[in-house]
Amino acid sequence: MINMSIDIKNIAKLSMLRIEDEKVEKFKKDMEAIINMVDRLPNISGELGLNYDNVMTLREDIAVQNKYTRNELLQNAPEVQAGCLVVPKTIE
Amino acid sequence: MKDFEIVVGLEVHAELNTDSKIYCDCKNIFGLEVNTQICPICMGMPGTLPTLNEKVVEYAIKMGHALNCKINSVFKQDRKNYFYPDLPKAYQISQAEVPVCENGYLDVLVNGVEKRIGVTRIHIEEDAGKLIHDESFAGSLVDLNRSGVPLIEIVSEPDMRSSAEAKAYLDTIKSILQYLDISDCKMQEGSIRCDVNVSVRERGSTEFGTRCEMKNVNSFSAAVRGIEYEAKRQIELIQSGGVVEQETRRWDDAKGMSFTMRTKEDAHDYRYFPEPDLLTVIVDEEKIKKLKDEIPELPNAKILRYIRDFGINQIDATLIVENMDKSKLFDDCTALNICTAKNISNWILADISKYMNETGKSILDTPLTAKRLCELIANVEKDIISNSAAKTVMEVIINENKEPEDIIKELGLAQNSDIGFLENLAKDVLDRNEKSVIDYKNGKTNAMGYLIGQCMKESKGKANPNIVKEIVMKLLAN
Amino acid sequence: MKLYEKTASELSEMLRSKECSALEIFEDVENRIKSVEDRVGAYITLTPDIAKKRAIEVDESFAKGEKLNVLAGIPIGIKDNISTKGIRTSCASKMLENYVPPFNATVIEKINNAGMVIMGKTNLDEFAMGSSTETSYMHITRNPHDLDRIPGGSSGGSTAAVAAGEAILTLGSDTGGSIRQPAALCGAIGLKPTYGSVSRYGLIAAASSLDQIGPIGRSVKDIAMLQDLISGYDKMDATSKNIEYPNLVDNLTANVKGMKIAVLKEFFGVGVDDSIKESVYKAIKMYEENGAEIKEISLPSTEFAIGAYHIIASAEASSNLARFDGVKYGLRAKEYNDLTDMYEKTRSEGFGDEVKRRIMLGTFVLSSGNYDVYYKKAKNLQKKVSEEFEETFVDFDVIISPTVASTASKIGEDINHPVKMYYNDSCTIAASIAGLPAITLPCGKDGNNLPIGLQLIGNKFSEQTLLNAAYTYENLCGGFNVLSQTL
Ligand SMILES: [Mg+2]
Ligand SMILES: [Zn+2]
Repeated sequence: MINMSIDIKNIAKLSMLRIEDEKVEKFKKDMEAIINMVDRLPNISGELGLNYDNVMTLREDIAVQNKYTRNELLQNAPEVQAGCLVVPKTIE
Repeated sequence: MKDFEIVVGLEVHAELNTDSKIYCDCKNIFGLEVNTQICPICMGMPGTLPTLNEKVVEYAIKMGHALNCKINSVFKQDRKNYFYPDLPKAYQISQAEVPVCENGYLDVLVNGVEKRIGVTRIHIEEDAGKLIHDESFAGSLVDLNRSGVPLIEIVSEPDMRSSAEAKAYLDTIKSILQYLDISDCKMQEGSIRCDVNVSVRERGSTEFGTRCEMKNVNSFSAAVRGIEYEAKRQIELIQSGGVVEQETRRWDDAKGMSFTMRTKEDAHDYRYFPEPDLLTVIVDEEKIKKLKDEIPELPNAKILRYIRDFGINQIDATLIVENMDKSKLFDDCTALNICTAKNISNWILADISKYMNETGKSILDTPLTAKRLCELIANVEKDIISNSAAKTVMEVIINENKEPEDIIKELGLAQNSDIGFLENLAKDVLDRNEKSVIDYKNGKTNAMGYLIGQCMKESKGKANPNIVKEIVMKLLAN
Repeated sequence: MKLYEKTASELSEMLRSKECSALEIFEDVENRIKSVEDRVGAYITLTPDIAKKRAIEVDESFAKGEKLNVLAGIPIGIKDNISTKGIRTSCASKMLENYVPPFNATVIEKINNAGMVIMGKTNLDEFAMGSSTETSYMHITRNPHDLDRIPGGSSGGSTAAVAAGEAILTLGSDTGGSIRQPAALCGAIGLKPTYGSVSRYGLIAAASSLDQIGPIGRSVKDIAMLQDLISGYDKMDATSKNIEYPNLVDNLTANVKGMKIAVLKEFFGVGVDDSIKESVYKAIKMYEENGAEIKEISLPSTEFAIGAYHIIASAEASSNLARFDGVKYGLRAKEYNDLTDMYEKTRSEGFGDEVKRRIMLGTFVLSSGNYDVYYKKAKNLQKKVSEEFEETFVDFDVIISPTVASTASKIGEDINHPVKMYYNDSCTIAASIAGLPAITLPCGKDGNNLPIGLQLIGNKFSEQTLLNAAYTYENLCGGFNVLSQTL
């Protein structure tokens, strides 16, 4: 594949970011340089994901009661009311 | 006019009733004060990591066995990325490529006919938190108590052809979850939810039509209404020359309508990729087998057995099986072979159900054991006590923990079946009620009932009503 | 010799022979910070009160005759992407400028339990994304050996603190070279441990499958001591490896007789400064003269490592950083119209350009249609690289190479050339992508009197072999002079 082009505005939207118009070109150039570097790499086939050598231990189902108070956990929140985090009205 | 066929596929999300959440050791419990069952992990604090609860895996495998799935002894988890305020990490840990279970099926009964519905997969994932909306408040509130509650998602093949089939599938899934004791299945608490995929096609066609996914279906009856509405909408659209667009719709049960939520164009791009914070899981074959051995007889099989072995009709069989306690009592009673299955079924569905409803107690927690119930029924069957006396006996068994025989004796409930005695009694009653006898002979047939009633009254309720009836009929015929 | 100039193992002995107190060590390091920090800028947050209290506690315990960890009373700096309960953990980002974690990272629990004295939180590239510490939202950090130059990154604050005498030891994190590259540029020793040997719980993730916390210090023994403390299985981190972790310090030996050392041809290619090549070859010669078997080898797939690394690292980062949305913690934009507006404004204000670029690159490579083309391909390349290394370690004990292709550049020189900066990490990335342990050691200076770094890569969980090789070189050099002489 040669010189992949990236739709920065669309990718920014998917990433919940806004890129100023004057910066779009620079982002595009930088990202495409890396993408094109990868495009030049060979394709090695193989299945992903299941690694039989590296297996994890599962956690026993034991519940622990309230190690933290609600206040401790919400102390960093930008806006809290009635013990809840507050966001702009969201109804899907 | 063309004839259309409805095609339905279902995605059922069931919350598992584990003690702790799926990826942290917070309590998995419903209904407590907002944001009190949370920790840095399930609120997605930076630097926290998930650890997988082994019970969740076991429960998913059990469900897989129950739905005749292939169990993947080696699997992994993936991230499903999307932004929403109830999803604190902005990704849900779920499974994409390799679910715990796949390629199963479920046999359900629809109007007495068995129907096989394919189960594509069962995977494990975490639930999101909850948004709370209040009229008086300009924003929305986020409660994360539910964040990280374990879910299994059961995805069916598009094998259902009517809302009735969908309902039967959902009911069966629900009763299996309860039989396996892996989910509370409390609809009103949202512990079991479903997404409905509906398409229509001309009958006879082998290709599927464009499907719509319906969200916010909060009960099984809503699923039925939603499917019917959606199928009608699609058929009308096609018949008027329109084209069904692939989209996600929102079911509004109050309005009885669905509305476009997302079109294909603004469909989410979830950017699935393997969850790097969790490694591959390997469950050893022995454990998989052990989990299979732990599975009790499942409700769908039970219903079929009741119909086949005991001649119980589908409705009654379903009613008994739906409740694990009732079906246990039924199984215990039928195993004793003391009275007929039909009468056991009648007792369970009438008096015992009534008792359970009124007291909220399980019959298994009372002194009415299977043996006592059978003996009680046998006494009725042998005409030793009347039906109404039997009800009294049942009450006394439960309240005083006594044997039925003793109660019958103590209360003198045994019926009088002495034919000579009863004939004299009847003759006496008829002599004293000449008018009724004349009425009867003049065609007023209900006079007989009155006369039988008088005989019963005379005997203080102890006369065997069947014998009295015979005698009275014989006397009146003369 | 001032206390701040000493190594942890020296101070540890002095504490036990009552030559000095933990409070005196703290005060000396604290004074050193006061005198140089405004020029170096190694720290984001200083915690003198907490540190002093800890030092006093340690002295009290010693006075009571309690048996303490070998690192008790030793001042340490913590990279500011490692969560510290009650102490701001900013990741050098505007996004987390005021974020105070309610919990400790597992490594911090261990450090606290050992009685180490946390001096503060050190500077880094924003969210550990960068190789110069210039992308920090807070301020830049200067290389203590030349204040006009970068310290490297992303653990630039941690390595500068060690080189400036502002801490005896520090913790950094390494994703593609973020401990080794700045340690090399600051003339310090930095170990990136085997992936899975140090718990990541509480490390604010850049790329989960590559991130690893590791020690930075001024002697190999110090590195071994801190690695002994922080390594081990942690049930809070599913990716941590559940095996025995033998004590490294006890088995440290300066002997490379019969050790098989591979010289990786690809890492001495074009782009590597001649002075660096020269210095590293000199070190190789020293190894050879002392009984090591040296052989040049080629690992063709290492050149794929950079490409694979950037795809995997950015994909994971894009997902890991999605949680910063202004809802639960961190920055929230002041004004917004609706939810999406709040998300976009918050994230656009909170993240710097380097972070945005990586998030977007990650989003791009995972987005529908690209997953197979980029992400899957990168993961397969990663596997290939790992396999080649695995084969190499059948015949060899360690691999030797330069740590970085060039010594510290001037501040502002490379910041606008991200691709150049991405390539800068090429020697370190291969070990990262294969999950291998690797250490950088000071290896002389270049014409500008700037430190040169030598990298040793070991097989998985072979930290002992790696440290023994490092310890040997250190002894052959007569010790390292990590501290800046010009500050
Ligand atoms: Mg799902
Ligand atoms: Zn939790």
